[in-house]
Amino acid sequence: MDADELLKNAKAVANNMSEYQHNLPQDTPDDREFPEAARTELLDECEEQYEQLQQLQNEITLAESESPQNPPNQAADRASALRAELKEWLEIQPNLLSSNPEVLLAVGKEELPRLNKQLEMVLSCSQAKRDKLKEVLKSEQKWLEEKKEVLKAATEQVIVLQQENDRLSEKGVLEDMKKKVQKVKDYQDSLLETLGDILAEHFPLPVQEGNANKKKKGITTEPRADLISLHDILELLMNKFVETPHEPYVMINETFWPPYIEMLLRHGIASRHPEDCFKIRLEAFY
Amino acid sequence: MSLKPYSKLPELNTANVLLVENEEEFQKRLSEAIVRQENSVNVTVRLARCLPLPVENAEGRPRIDLVVFIVHLRSEQSLLSTEASLKHLDSGYFLGKVCFLVTGARSGTVSYERLASIKRTAASLNCPLLMTEDKTTEGVHTAAQRVLNILKVSAGLVPMASGLYLSTLIRCSMPTDSDWQNQD
Repeated sequence: MDADELLKNAKAVANNMSEYQHNLPQDTPDDREFPEAARTELLDECEEQYEQLQQLQNEITLAESESPQNPPNQAADRASALRAELKEWLEIQPNLLSSNPEVLLAVGKEELPRLNKQLEMVLSCSQAKRDKLKEVLKSEQKWLEEKKEVLKAATEQVIVLQQENDRLSEKGVLEDMKKKVQKVKDYQDSLLETLGDILAEHFPLPVQEGNANKKKKGITTEPRADLISLHDILELLMNKFVETPHEPYVMINETFWPPYIEMLLRHGIASRHPEDCFKIRLEAFY
Repeated sequence: MSLKPYSKLPELNTANVLLVENEEEFQKRLSEAIVRQENSVNVTVRLARCLPLPVENAEGRPRIDLVVFIVHLRSEQSLLSTEASLKHLDSGYFLGKVCFLVTGARSGTVSYERLASIKRTAASLNCPLLMTEDKTTEGVHTAAQRVLNILKVSAGLVPMASGLYLSTLIRCSMPTDSDWQNQD
């Protein structure tokens, strides 16, 4: 324990002391009030003890001078001394300090402040210990909080990783692929639709018989009634190209309107068979 | 004439300790520390270079309650002087009124033979052996405190305890050979 801490606590205890100081009895009356009878009794007792001591001392001196100077035997001496002490302890009877109440009171008064002092020290000591433990508790709690947070973060991380794992697994990949395919299909559909719209809007079949046209060319043959639209031509080409990639050529027949074929060939969308000029194919764009 | 433990009457609330040290360098500091620390009991410290004590002032000398032999492991002379002094002590002192104070045991240059020797002596006499530090103030303070504790018991100032009893509990035990082999 810290000395500073101890000092602090001691000060705190001292402050507490002052709070209940007025509850304490007054200081012990000084010796003058001590009854003469008790004093005499004590002195008598002391005299008695001293006499006994002197008697014992005489006995010791006597024994020492009597005993011959035999070579000292440590172990034996020790053993007998210990045995004697043990015997003494076994036989000893606790005796009352004194039967005089005045004497006992004085002794008690002397003893109590000492006890009080010791207990105060114990108190301050345990308070310091308690404070220390509180601090430890606080830090431990903080530590626990931190650990909890770490656990939370780790759990989240685990969940994220699991999701990732699921995504990367076979099923996940399949699912992903399907989604992509669907997306591409949708895109394709929309593209086809847009293409169809554009074709329908900007490339109509020559159905109208413009008078000016007739007058100019004069002998221009009437367009056939069963001509197919540009849209259909493209569809044919594309289907052929996809269905039989080894043989993507389509025979040109009467239903194909020649200007459209010309346009496709000129803009590099279609190309003729190198040997058979009646066959065309879709240009390989890939 | 050897020193006897019970040849004189004890005095009230008094404890007398005799510090025996050949070099006379540590005992003065130690005695000051002892006297400074104790205030409830009247402690007198007597210093001696070696035993036996001079006969001239034997009459005026109070009863010695504890004899402390200070041994410096740094010097061989310290050990030899202590061994010689031991012979002049009455066997009654060895029943709990002698203790050994060893200094310098921490220094690596000290030969283990010396430490083993003093340990063997202490063990054969069943006396406590205190390892102390004499270079620092704190070490001296601690040594004084330990000597004082033993002194109070051996002077009979602690109820329900006697020097014989205490020394039986804290006596130095005989070093075994393996202890020294391990340290080598």
